[in-house]
Amino acid sequence: MNSFWHKQREGLITLVLLSPGLAGFFGLFFYPMLLTVILSFRPEGREVGWTLAHYARFLGDPAFRDVLGLTFSLAVGATVFSVLLSLPLALVLREKPKGNRLFRLSILLPMMMPHLISALGLLLFWSKRGWANLFLLTVLPFLKEPVAVNYTIPGLILFYVWLFYPYTCLTTLASLEALDRSIEEAAEVAGANRLRVLWHIVLPLIRPGVLAGSVLTFMMAFGAFSVPLVTGGNYRPLSVQIFTQATLYLEWSAASAMAVVMAMAQVTFLTIYMRVLRRPIA
Amino acid sequence: MMCAMTLVRQYARSVLSAKTLLVYSFLLGFLLYMVTPFLIIFFNSFGKGWYGMRWLPQEWTLNWYQWAIEVADIPEIMKNTLVIAGIAVVISTLIALPTGWALGRRHIPGKELLTALILLPRMIPAITFALGVAKIFYGLHLVDTFLGVALAHVALAAPYAILVLSATFESLDERVLEASAVCGASPAQGFFYVILPLILPGILSSIIFTFTTSYNEFTMTLMTYGPHTVTLPVRTYLAVGEGYWEVSSAMAVILIIPSLFILFLIQRQLQPEKLVGGFKGV
Repeated sequence: MNSFWHKQREGLITLVLLSPGLAGFFGLFFYPMLLTVILSFRPEGREVGWTLAHYARFLGDPAFRDVLGLTFSLAVGATVFSVLLSLPLALVLREKPKGNRLFRLSILLPMMMPHLISALGLLLFWSKRGWANLFLLTVLPFLKEPVAVNYTIPGLILFYVWLFYPYTCLTTLASLEALDRSIEEAAEVAGANRLRVLWHIVLPLIRPGVLAGSVLTFMMAFGAFSVPLVTGGNYRPLSVQIFTQATLYLEWSAASAMAVVMAMAQVTFLTIYMRVLRRPIA
Repeated sequence: MMCAMTLVRQYARSVLSAKTLLVYSFLLGFLLYMVTPFLIIFFNSFGKGWYGMRWLPQEWTLNWYQWAIEVADIPEIMKNTLVIAGIAVVISTLIALPTGWALGRRHIPGKELLTALILLPRMIPAITFALGVAKIFYGLHLVDTFLGVALAHVALAAPYAILVLSATFESLDERVLEASAVCGASPAQGFFYVILPLILPGILSSIIFTFTTSYNEFTMTLMTYGPHTVTLPVRTYLAVGEGYWEVSSAMAVILIIPSLFILFLIQRQLQPEKLVGGFKGV
Protein backbone atom coordinates (compact mmCIF):
# COMPACT_ATOMS: atom_id res chain seq x y z
CA MET A 1 0.00 0.00 0.00
CA ASN A 2 2.79 2.32 0.99
CA SER A 3 4.69 1.72 -2.22
CA PHE A 4 1.49 2.36 -4.18
CA TRP A 5 1.15 5.81 -2.63
CA HIS A 6 4.85 6.38 -3.13
CA LYS A 7 4.45 5.60 -6.82
CA GLN A 8 1.45 7.89 -7.08
CA ARG A 9 3.38 10.68 -5.44
CA GLU A 10 6.36 10.19 -7.73
CA GLY A 11 4.07 10.23 -10.76
CA LEU A 12 2.42 13.39 -9.51
CA ILE A 13 5.76 15.14 -9.03
CA THR A 14 6.80 14.16 -12.55
CA LEU A 15 3.54 15.52 -13.89
CA VAL A 16 3.95 18.81 -12.00
CA LEU A 17 7.48 19.14 -13.34
CA LEU A 18 6.30 18.42 -16.87
CA SER A 19 3.31 20.73 -16.69
CA PRO A 20 5.01 23.97 -17.88
CA GLY A 21 6.29 22.21 -20.97
CA LEU A 22 2.93 20.57 -21.59
CA ALA A 23 1.11 23.88 -21.07
CA GLY A 24 3.41 25.53 -23.61
CA PHE A 25 2.94 22.68 -26.06
CA PHE A 26 -0.85 22.64 -25.81
CA GLY A 27 -1.34 26.40 -25.58
CA LEU A 28 1.11 27.50 -28.25
CA PHE A 29 1.07 24.57 -30.63
CA PHE A 30 -1.68 21.99 -30.15
CA TYR A 31 -4.60 24.35 -29.58
CA PRO A 32 -3.62 26.69 -32.45
CA MET A 33 -3.24 23.67 -34.72
CA LEU A 34 -6.61 22.30 -33.59
CA LEU A 35 -8.19 25.69 -34.23
CA THR A 36 -6.65 25.70 -37.70
CA VAL A 37 -8.08 22.26 -38.43
CA ILE A 38 -11.55 23.34 -37.25
CA LEU A 39 -11.35 26.59 -39.21
CA SER A 40 -10.42 24.70 -42.36
CA PHE A 41 -13.83 22.96 -42.28
CA ARG A 42 -15.81 26.17 -41.67
CA PRO A 43 -17.40 28.25 -44.42
CA GLU A 44 -15.29 31.35 -45.06
CA GLY A 45 -15.67 34.01 -42.38
CA ARG A 46 -18.20 32.13 -40.24
CA GLU A 47 -17.95 30.27 -36.97
CA VAL A 48 -20.74 27.76 -37.63
CA GLY A 49 -21.43 25.06 -40.17
CA TRP A 50 -19.14 22.51 -41.77
CA THR A 51 -17.85 22.26 -45.30
CA LEU A 52 -15.22 20.43 -47.32
CA ALA A 53 -15.23 23.15 -49.96
CA HIS A 54 -11.77 24.51 -49.09
CA TYR A 55 -10.09 21.15 -49.49
CA ALA A 56 -12.01 20.45 -52.69
CA ARG A 57 -10.97 23.84 -54.02
CA PHE A 58 -7.38 23.45 -52.94
CA LEU A 59 -6.95 20.03 -54.48
CA GLY A 60 -9.19 20.61 -57.50
CA ASP A 61 -8.27 24.08 -58.73
CA PRO A 62 -5.39 23.87 -61.26
CA ALA A 63 -3.88 27.08 -59.84
CA PHE A 64 -3.61 25.49 -56.41
CA ARG A 65 -2.34 22.24 -57.80
CA ASP A 66 0.40 24.29 -59.42
CA VAL A 67 1.29 25.56 -55.96
CA LEU A 68 1.72 22.00 -54.73
CA GLY A 69 3.70 21.08 -57.84
CA LEU A 70 5.98 24.09 -57.43
CA THR A 71 6.56 23.34 -53.75
CA PHE A 72 7.53 19.75 -54.50
CA SER A 73 9.74 20.56 -57.50
CA LEU A 74 11.63 23.19 -55.52
CA ALA A 75 12.15 20.81 -52.61
CA VAL A 76 13.19 17.88 -54.83
CA GLY A 77 15.53 20.08 -56.90
CA ALA A 78 17.11 21.52 -53.78
CA THR A 79 17.62 18.03 -52.34
CA VAL A 80 19.21 16.56 -55.47
CA PHE A 81 21.65 19.44 -55.93
CA SER A 82 22.43 19.49 -52.21
CA VAL A 83 23.56 15.87 -52.42
CA LEU A 84 25.60 16.65 -55.54
CA LEU A 85 27.32 19.51 -53.71
CA SER A 86 27.67 17.76 -50.36
CA LEU A 87 29.31 14.53 -51.52
CA PRO A 88 32.45 16.03 -53.09
CA LEU A 89 32.64 18.68 -50.40
CA ALA A 90 32.46 16.15 -47.58
CA LEU A 91 34.97 13.87 -49.31
CA VAL A 92 37.41 16.75 -49.64
CA LEU A 93 36.88 18.09 -46.14
CA ARG A 94 37.34 14.62 -44.69
CA GLU A 95 41.00 14.80 -45.67
CA LYS A 96 41.31 17.86 -43.42
CA PRO A 97 42.86 20.21 -46.01
CA LYS A 98 44.51 23.44 -44.93
CA GLY A 99 41.90 25.93 -43.75
CA ASN A 100 39.64 23.05 -42.77
CA ARG A 101 38.10 24.96 -39.88
CA LEU A 102 37.27 27.95 -42.04
CA PHE A 103 35.51 25.79 -44.63
CA ARG A 104 33.56 23.96 -41.98
CA LEU A 105 32.56 27.21 -40.36
CA SER A 106 31.30 28.52 -43.68
CA ILE A 107 29.04 25.48 -44.02
CA LEU A 108 27.27 26.69 -40.91
CA LEU A 109 26.67 30.21 -42.25
CA PRO A 110 23.25 29.53 -43.82
CA MET A 111 22.07 27.81 -40.65
CA MET A 112 23.19 30.54 -38.31
CA MET A 113 22.28 33.61 -40.31
CA PRO A 114 18.71 34.88 -40.44
CA HIS A 115 17.20 33.54 -43.65
CA LEU A 116 15.87 36.96 -44.50
CA ILE A 117 19.36 38.42 -44.68
CA SER A 118 20.66 35.50 -46.69
CA ALA A 119 17.78 36.11 -49.10
CA LEU A 120 18.74 39.77 -49.46
CA GLY A 121 22.38 38.89 -50.05
CA LEU A 122 21.53 36.20 -52.59
CA LEU A 123 19.27 38.60 -54.48
CA LEU A 124 22.02 41.23 -54.57
CA PHE A 125 24.71 38.74 -55.55
CA TRP A 126 22.76 37.03 -58.35
CA SER A 127 21.04 40.11 -59.70
CA LYS A 128 21.60 41.09 -63.34
CA ARG A 129 24.04 43.75 -62.21
CA GLY A 130 25.56 41.77 -59.34
CA TRP A 131 28.90 40.08 -58.87
CA ALA A 132 27.82 36.71 -60.21
CA ASN A 133 26.83 38.12 -63.58
CA LEU A 134 29.81 40.43 -63.64
CA PHE A 135 32.07 37.43 -63.16
CA LEU A 136 30.26 35.35 -65.79
CA LEU A 137 30.38 38.17 -68.33
CA THR A 138 34.10 38.59 -67.68
CA VAL A 139 35.13 34.94 -67.99
CA LEU A 140 32.67 33.75 -70.64
CA PRO A 141 33.31 35.84 -73.76
CA PHE A 142 30.37 34.34 -75.68
CA LEU A 143 27.96 35.56 -73.01
CA LYS A 144 26.53 38.87 -74.15
CA GLU A 145 23.52 39.29 -71.87
CA PRO A 146 23.51 38.91 -68.09
CA VAL A 147 21.83 35.71 -66.92
CA ALA A 148 18.46 36.12 -65.20
CA VAL A 149 18.60 34.23 -61.91
CA ASN A 150 16.43 36.16 -59.49
CA TYR A 151 12.71 35.44 -59.52
CA THR A 152 13.12 32.34 -61.72
CA ILE A 153 12.61 28.71 -60.74
CA PRO A 154 16.24 27.64 -61.34
CA GLY A 155 17.27 30.69 -59.31
CA LEU A 156 14.97 29.67 -56.48
CA ILE A 157 16.47 26.18 -56.51
CA LEU A 158 19.96 27.72 -56.42
CA PHE A 159 18.97 29.78 -53.37
CA TYR A 160 17.35 26.77 -51.72
CA VAL A 161 20.52 24.72 -52.21
CA TRP A 162 22.59 27.50 -50.67
CA LEU A 163 20.26 27.65 -47.69
CA PHE A 164 19.53 24.01 -47.00
CA TYR A 165 22.48 21.90 -48.21
CA PRO A 166 24.25 22.17 -44.81
CA TYR A 167 21.84 19.59 -43.40
CA THR A 168 22.91 17.09 -46.05
CA CYS A 169 26.55 18.08 -45.90
CA LEU A 170 26.93 17.86 -42.13
CA THR A 171 25.30 14.42 -41.88
CA THR A 172 27.37 13.19 -44.84
CA LEU A 173 30.54 14.52 -43.24
CA ALA A 174 29.62 12.95 -39.91
CA SER A 175 29.02 9.51 -41.44
CA LEU A 176 32.22 9.79 -43.49
CA GLU A 177 34.23 10.56 -40.40
CA ALA A 178 32.64 7.68 -38.53
CA LEU A 179 33.87 5.29 -41.26
CA ASP A 180 36.68 2.95 -40.39
CA ARG A 181 39.55 3.76 -42.75
CA SER A 182 40.91 0.25 -42.53
CA ILE A 183 37.99 -1.04 -44.65
CA GLU A 184 39.02 1.23 -47.51
CA GLU A 185 42.66 0.35 -47.04
CA ALA A 186 41.74 -3.32 -47.19
CA ALA A 187 39.92 -2.76 -50.46
CA GLU A 188 42.88 -0.84 -51.85
CA VAL A 189 45.28 -3.59 -50.83
CA ALA A 190 42.97 -6.06 -52.57
CA GLY A 191 43.59 -4.07 -55.74
CA ALA A 192 40.61 -1.76 -56.10
CA ASN A 193 41.40 1.71 -57.40
CA ARG A 194 40.21 4.89 -55.63
CA LEU A 195 37.09 5.24 -57.74
CA ARG A 196 36.00 1.65 -57.15
CA VAL A 197 36.63 2.00 -53.43
CA LEU A 198 34.49 5.12 -53.44
CA TRP A 199 31.68 3.55 -55.45
CA HIS A 200 31.57 0.07 -53.91
CA ILE A 201 32.71 0.68 -50.35
CA VAL A 202 32.38 4.28 -49.20
CA LEU A 203 29.12 5.31 -50.83
CA PRO A 204 27.09 2.26 -49.70
CA LEU A 205 28.43 2.70 -46.17
CA ILE A 206 27.54 6.37 -45.85
CA ARG A 207 24.20 6.02 -47.64
CA PRO A 208 22.07 6.09 -44.46
CA GLY A 209 23.69 9.34 -43.35
CA VAL A 210 23.30 10.95 -46.76
CA LEU A 211 19.67 9.80 -46.92
CA ALA A 212 18.86 11.18 -43.48
CA GLY A 213 20.47 14.48 -44.40
CA SER A 214 18.60 14.65 -47.70
CA VAL A 215 15.27 14.13 -45.97
CA LEU A 216 16.18 16.98 -43.60
CA THR A 217 17.09 19.21 -46.54
CA PHE A 218 13.88 18.23 -48.28
CA MET A 219 11.81 19.07 -45.20
CA MET A 220 13.48 22.44 -44.77
CA ALA A 221 13.00 23.27 -48.46
CA PHE A 222 9.37 22.13 -48.33
CA GLY A 223 8.65 24.37 -45.35
CA ALA A 224 10.77 27.37 -46.38
CA PHE A 225 8.92 30.62 -45.89
CA SER A 226 10.92 33.80 -45.62
CA VAL A 227 13.19 33.09 -48.58
CA PRO A 228 10.50 32.38 -51.18
CA LEU A 229 8.49 35.27 -49.70
CA VAL A 230 11.31 37.68 -50.54
CA THR A 231 12.92 36.04 -53.56
CA GLY A 232 10.00 34.16 -55.13
CA GLY A 233 8.46 37.00 -57.10
CA ASN A 234 5.43 35.51 -58.80
CA TYR A 235 6.30 31.98 -57.74
CA ARG A 236 4.57 31.19 -54.48
CA PRO A 237 5.23 27.86 -52.82
CA LEU A 238 2.73 26.52 -50.30
CA SER A 239 3.97 28.45 -47.25
CA VAL A 240 3.87 31.80 -49.05
CA GLN A 241 0.48 30.95 -50.55
CA ILE A 242 -0.89 30.28 -47.05
CA PHE A 243 0.39 33.63 -45.84
CA THR A 244 -0.95 35.51 -48.88
CA GLN A 245 -4.31 33.77 -48.67
CA ALA A 246 -4.70 34.70 -45.02
CA THR A 247 -3.33 38.23 -44.90
CA LEU A 248 -3.92 39.56 -48.41
CA TYR A 249 -7.17 37.87 -49.44
CA LEU A 250 -8.32 37.47 -45.82
CA GLU A 251 -9.47 33.94 -46.60
CA TRP A 252 -8.52 32.33 -43.31
CA SER A 253 -10.46 29.14 -43.83
CA ALA A 254 -8.88 28.49 -47.22
CA ALA A 255 -5.46 29.29 -45.75
CA SER A 256 -6.17 26.92 -42.85
CA ALA A 257 -7.02 24.08 -45.21
CA MET A 258 -3.66 24.58 -46.94
CA ALA A 259 -1.90 24.77 -43.59
CA VAL A 260 -3.46 21.46 -42.55
CA VAL A 261 -2.35 19.77 -45.79
CA MET A 262 1.15 21.19 -45.32
CA ALA A 263 1.39 20.09 -41.69
CA MET A 264 0.25 16.57 -42.59
CA ALA A 265 2.76 16.35 -45.42
CA GLN A 266 5.54 17.47 -43.11
CA VAL A 267 4.59 14.93 -40.43
CA THR A 268 4.74 12.24 -43.13
CA PHE A 269 8.26 13.34 -44.13
CA LEU A 270 9.22 13.40 -40.46
CA THR A 271 8.07 9.79 -40.08
CA ILE A 272 10.11 8.82 -43.13
CA TYR A 273 13.12 10.60 -41.65
CA MET A 274 12.81 8.71 -38.37
CA ARG A 275 12.56 5.42 -40.29
CA VAL A 276 15.62 6.26 -42.38
CA LEU A 277 17.56 7.22 -39.31
CA ARG A 278 16.62 4.17 -37.28
CA ARG A 279 17.47 1.69 -39.99
CA PRO A 280 20.66 -0.10 -39.07
CA ILE A 281 23.62 0.71 -41.29
CA ALA A 282 23.44 -1.51 -44.34
CA MET B 1 67.20 4.48 -65.90
CA MET B 2 67.86 7.36 -63.55
CA CYS B 3 66.35 9.68 -66.07
CA ALA B 4 63.17 7.63 -66.32
CA MET B 5 62.82 7.56 -62.54
CA THR B 6 63.09 11.32 -62.33
CA LEU B 7 60.56 11.69 -65.08
CA VAL B 8 58.12 9.40 -63.31
CA ARG B 9 58.64 11.25 -60.07
CA GLN B 10 58.12 14.59 -61.74
CA TYR B 11 55.00 13.32 -63.44
CA ALA B 12 53.66 12.01 -60.14
CA ARG B 13 54.37 15.33 -58.48
CA SER B 14 52.64 17.29 -61.23
CA VAL B 15 49.56 15.01 -61.05
CA LEU B 16 49.55 15.44 -57.31
CA SER B 17 49.78 19.20 -57.49
CA ALA B 18 47.12 19.28 -60.23
CA LYS B 19 44.86 17.36 -57.88
CA THR B 20 45.66 19.70 -55.01
CA LEU B 21 45.01 22.63 -57.29
CA LEU B 22 41.66 21.16 -58.29
CA VAL B 23 40.70 20.52 -54.67
CA TYR B 24 41.65 24.00 -53.61
CA SER B 25 39.92 25.73 -56.48
CA PHE B 26 36.81 23.71 -55.62
CA LEU B 27 37.09 24.74 -51.99
CA LEU B 28 37.75 28.35 -52.93
CA GLY B 29 34.73 28.39 -55.23
CA PHE B 30 32.65 26.90 -52.47
CA LEU B 31 33.88 29.46 -49.97
CA LEU B 32 33.06 32.32 -52.35
CA TYR B 33 29.62 30.82 -53.02
CA MET B 34 28.94 30.81 -49.30
CA VAL B 35 30.42 34.15 -48.31
CA THR B 36 29.75 36.53 -51.21
CA PRO B 37 26.08 37.18 -50.38
CA PHE B 38 27.17 38.62 -47.04
CA LEU B 39 30.12 40.52 -48.53
CA ILE B 40 27.89 42.14 -51.10
CA ILE B 41 25.42 43.20 -48.39
CA PHE B 42 28.33 44.72 -46.50
CA PHE B 43 29.59 46.70 -49.51
CA ASN B 44 26.08 47.65 -50.54
CA SER B 45 25.43 49.17 -47.12
CA PHE B 46 28.46 51.48 -47.48
CA GLY B 47 28.31 52.12 -51.22
CA LYS B 48 26.97 55.25 -52.83
CA GLY B 49 25.44 55.14 -56.29
CA TRP B 50 26.53 51.53 -56.72
CA TYR B 51 24.01 50.07 -59.10
CA GLY B 52 26.13 47.04 -59.84
CA MET B 53 28.08 46.23 -63.01
CA ARG B 54 31.14 47.29 -61.03
CA TRP B 55 33.13 45.20 -58.61
CA LEU B 56 33.05 47.86 -55.93
CA PRO B 57 31.16 51.07 -55.27
CA GLN B 58 32.93 54.21 -56.48
CA GLU B 59 32.07 56.29 -53.47
CA TRP B 60 31.61 55.33 -49.88
CA THR B 61 29.02 56.71 -47.51
CA LEU B 62 27.48 56.20 -44.10
CA ASN B 63 24.18 57.70 -45.28
CA TRP B 64 22.31 54.39 -45.30
CA TYR B 65 23.13 53.79 -41.66
CA GLN B 66 22.03 57.32 -40.87
CA TRP B 67 18.78 56.64 -42.74
CA ALA B 68 18.29 53.36 -40.93
CA ILE B 69 18.75 55.06 -37.59
CA GLU B 70 16.82 58.26 -38.23
CA VAL B 71 14.10 57.33 -40.71
CA ALA B 72 13.55 53.66 -40.00
CA ASP B 73 14.00 54.23 -36.27
CA ILE B 74 16.40 51.33 -35.73
CA PRO B 75 17.21 52.12 -32.07
CA GLU B 76 13.52 51.79 -31.15
CA ILE B 77 13.23 48.61 -33.21
CA MET B 78 16.39 47.20 -31.67
CA LYS B 79 14.89 47.89 -28.25
CA ASN B 80 11.69 46.02 -29.23
CA THR B 81 13.71 43.09 -30.56
CA LEU B 82 15.85 42.82 -27.44
CA VAL B 83 12.92 43.20 -25.02
CA ILE B 84 10.94 40.53 -26.87
CA ALA B 85 13.96 38.23 -27.01
CA GLY B 86 14.54 38.80 -23.28
CA ILE B 87 10.95 37.91 -22.38
CA ALA B 88 11.09 34.87 -24.67
CA VAL B 89 14.35 33.68 -23.06
CA VAL B 90 12.95 34.06 -19.53
CA ILE B 91 9.68 32.25 -20.31
CA SER B 92 11.42 29.48 -22.27
CA THR B 93 13.98 28.90 -19.53
CA LEU B 94 11.29 28.83 -16.84
CA ILE B 95 9.39 26.26 -18.91
CA ALA B 96 12.45 24.23 -19.78
CA LEU B 97 14.06 23.95 -16.32
CA PRO B 98 11.37 21.74 -14.69
CA THR B 99 10.35 20.01 -17.92
CA GLY B 100 13.95 19.29 -18.87
CA TRP B 101 14.61 17.93 -15.38
CA ALA B 102 11.59 15.62 -15.61
CA LEU B 103 12.56 14.42 -19.10
CA GLY B 104 16.21 13.99 -18.24
CA ARG B 105 16.12 12.47 -14.78
CA ARG B 106 12.72 10.99 -14.01
CA HIS B 107 11.05 7.82 -15.13
CA ILE B 108 8.35 8.68 -17.66
CA PRO B 109 6.43 6.08 -19.65
CA GLY B 110 6.56 6.86 -23.37
CA LYS B 111 9.40 9.33 -22.96
CA GLU B 112 10.50 9.04 -26.60
CA LEU B 113 7.06 9.90 -27.90
CA LEU B 114 6.74 12.79 -25.46
CA THR B 115 10.09 14.25 -26.55
CA ALA B 116 9.11 13.89 -30.19
CA LEU B 117 5.82 15.68 -29.50
CA ILE B 118 7.51 18.52 -27.65
CA LEU B 119 9.91 18.98 -30.58
CA LEU B 120 7.14 18.85 -33.17
CA PRO B 121 6.67 22.66 -33.35
CA ARG B 122 10.28 22.96 -34.47
CA MET B 123 9.96 20.28 -37.08
CA ILE B 124 6.90 21.43 -38.99
CA PRO B 125 6.74 24.79 -40.79
CA ALA B 126 5.83 27.56 -38.37
CA ILE B 127 3.36 29.10 -40.80
CA THR B 128 1.04 26.08 -40.31
CA PHE B 129 0.32 26.91 -36.68
CA ALA B 130 1.16 30.62 -36.84
CA LEU B 131 -2.32 31.13 -38.33
CA GLY B 132 -3.95 29.59 -35.26
CA VAL B 133 -1.66 31.46 -32.88
CA ALA B 134 -2.56 34.75 -34.57
CA LYS B 135 -6.27 33.90 -34.37
CA ILE B 136 -6.04 33.14 -30.64
CA PHE B 137 -3.88 36.16 -29.88
CA TYR B 138 -6.33 38.46 -31.65
CA GLY B 139 -9.04 37.16 -29.30
CA LEU B 140 -6.83 37.66 -26.23
CA HIS B 141 -5.60 41.11 -27.36
CA LEU B 142 -2.06 39.80 -27.31
CA VAL B 143 -1.28 40.90 -30.85
CA ASP B 144 1.07 43.89 -30.96
CA THR B 145 2.18 43.45 -27.34
CA PHE B 146 5.70 42.50 -26.24
CA LEU B 147 4.31 39.56 -24.28
CA GLY B 148 2.27 38.31 -27.23
CA VAL B 149 5.12 38.36 -29.74
CA ALA B 150 7.47 36.83 -27.15
CA LEU B 151 4.95 34.05 -26.42
CA ALA B 152 4.69 33.30 -30.13
CA HIS B 153 8.49 32.97 -30.15
CA VAL B 154 8.36 30.69 -27.11
CA ALA B 155 6.42 28.18 -29.22
CA LEU B 156 9.63 27.71 -31.22
CA ALA B 157 12.26 28.49 -28.59
CA ALA B 158 11.01 26.38 -25.68
CA PRO B 159 11.33 22.99 -27.44
CA TYR B 160 15.02 23.68 -28.08
CA ALA B 161 15.57 24.81 -24.51
CA ILE B 162 13.86 21.67 -23.20
CA LEU B 163 15.99 19.49 -25.47
CA VAL B 164 19.27 21.11 -24.40
CA LEU B 165 18.44 21.16 -20.69
CA SER B 166 17.13 17.60 -20.54
CA ALA B 167 20.36 16.42 -22.16
CA THR B 168 22.33 18.46 -19.61
CA PHE B 169 20.41 17.07 -16.63
CA GLU B 170 20.60 13.55 -18.00
CA SER B 171 24.38 13.69 -18.10
CA LEU B 172 24.60 14.68 -14.42
CA ASP B 173 26.24 11.90 -12.51
CA GLU B 174 24.62 11.30 -9.12
CA ARG B 175 27.83 9.79 -7.77
CA VAL B 176 29.50 13.18 -7.97
CA LEU B 177 26.82 14.59 -5.69
CA GLU B 178 27.14 11.62 -3.35
CA ALA B 179 30.87 12.10 -3.28
CA SER B 180 30.44 15.73 -2.30
CA ALA B 181 28.04 14.68 0.46
CA VAL B 182 30.53 12.11 1.71
CA CYS B 183 33.13 14.84 1.81
CA GLY B 184 30.85 16.79 4.11
CA ALA B 185 29.07 19.22 1.82
CA SER B 186 25.58 20.33 2.84
CA PRO B 187 22.81 19.99 0.19
CA ALA B 188 23.02 23.75 -0.46
CA GLN B 189 26.80 23.56 -0.86
CA GLY B 190 26.36 20.50 -3.04
CA PHE B 191 24.01 22.47 -5.26
CA PHE B 192 26.08 25.63 -5.52
CA TYR B 193 29.54 24.09 -5.76
CA VAL B 194 28.83 20.84 -7.59
CA ILE B 195 25.54 20.81 -9.52
CA LEU B 196 25.46 24.43 -10.62
CA PRO B 197 28.92 24.45 -12.23
CA LEU B 198 28.02 21.23 -14.01
CA ILE B 199 24.71 22.43 -15.45
CA LEU B 200 25.71 26.05 -16.06
CA PRO B 201 27.14 25.44 -19.56
CA GLY B 202 23.91 23.68 -20.53
CA ILE B 203 21.78 26.52 -19.23
CA LEU B 204 23.98 29.05 -21.00
CA SER B 205 23.78 27.28 -24.34
CA SER B 206 20.02 26.94 -23.91
CA ILE B 207 19.82 30.69 -23.32
CA ILE B 208 21.98 31.37 -26.39
CA PHE B 209 19.76 29.15 -28.52
CA THR B 210 16.49 30.67 -27.32
CA PHE B 211 17.89 34.17 -27.70
CA THR B 212 19.02 33.57 -31.30
CA THR B 213 15.73 31.89 -32.15
CA SER B 214 13.75 34.87 -30.92
CA TYR B 215 16.18 37.47 -32.27
CA ASN B 216 16.01 36.00 -35.78
CA GLU B 217 12.40 34.84 -35.71
CA PHE B 218 10.42 36.07 -38.67
CA THR B 219 7.36 33.92 -39.43
CA MET B 220 5.78 34.03 -35.98
CA THR B 221 6.52 37.75 -35.66
CA LEU B 222 4.99 38.47 -39.02
CA MET B 223 1.70 36.96 -37.85
CA THR B 224 1.59 38.64 -34.43
CA TYR B 225 3.39 41.98 -34.74
CA GLY B 226 1.86 45.43 -34.91
CA PRO B 227 3.06 49.01 -35.19
CA HIS B 228 4.47 48.94 -31.64
CA THR B 229 6.26 45.62 -31.86
CA VAL B 230 8.17 45.79 -35.13
CA THR B 231 11.33 43.70 -34.75
CA LEU B 232 14.53 43.91 -36.76
CA PRO B 233 13.79 40.98 -39.10
CA VAL B 234 10.32 42.34 -39.85
CA ARG B 235 11.68 45.84 -40.41
CA THR B 236 14.31 44.48 -42.79
CA TYR B 237 11.60 42.58 -44.66
CA LEU B 238 9.48 45.72 -44.94
CA ALA B 239 12.47 47.73 -46.19
CA VAL B 240 13.21 45.10 -48.85
CA GLY B 241 9.57 45.29 -49.92
CA GLU B 242 9.76 49.07 -50.12
CA GLY B 243 12.73 48.70 -52.45
CA TYR B 244 15.31 50.53 -50.31
CA TRP B 245 18.00 47.93 -50.82
CA GLU B 246 20.84 50.00 -49.46
CA VAL B 247 18.97 50.80 -46.26
CA SER B 248 17.93 47.14 -46.00
CA SER B 249 21.59 46.20 -46.34
CA ALA B 250 22.54 48.59 -43.54
CA MET B 251 19.81 47.07 -41.33
CA ALA B 252 20.97 43.60 -42.26
CA VAL B 253 24.51 44.44 -41.14
CA ILE B 254 23.16 45.74 -37.84
CA LEU B 255 21.06 42.57 -37.46
CA ILE B 256 23.91 40.24 -38.41
CA ILE B 257 26.51 41.35 -35.86
CA PRO B 258 25.05 39.41 -32.90
CA SER B 259 24.60 36.31 -35.08
CA LEU B 260 28.25 36.42 -36.10
CA PHE B 261 29.28 36.82 -32.50
CA ILE B 262 27.18 33.83 -31.48
CA LEU B 263 28.51 31.77 -34.40
CA PHE B 264 32.00 32.50 -33.11
CA LEU B 265 31.01 31.50 -29.56
CA ILE B 266 29.37 28.28 -30.69
CA GLN B 267 32.30 27.27 -32.86
CA ARG B 268 34.50 27.66 -29.80
CA GLN B 269 32.23 25.91 -27.33
CA LEU B 270 30.33 23.21 -29.15
CA GLN B 271 30.79 20.79 -31.97
CA PRO B 272 28.72 22.14 -34.82
CA GLU B 273 28.09 18.71 -36.33
CA LYS B 274 26.05 17.89 -33.25
CA LEU B 275 23.65 20.75 -33.84
CA VAL B 276 22.20 19.33 -37.00
CA GLY B 277 18.96 17.44 -36.55
CA GLY B 278 18.57 18.52 -32.96
CA PHE B 279 16.22 15.61 -32.48
CA LYS B 280 18.66 12.98 -33.65
CA GLY B 281 18.58 11.39 -30.23
CA VAL B 282 14.81 10.88 -30.34
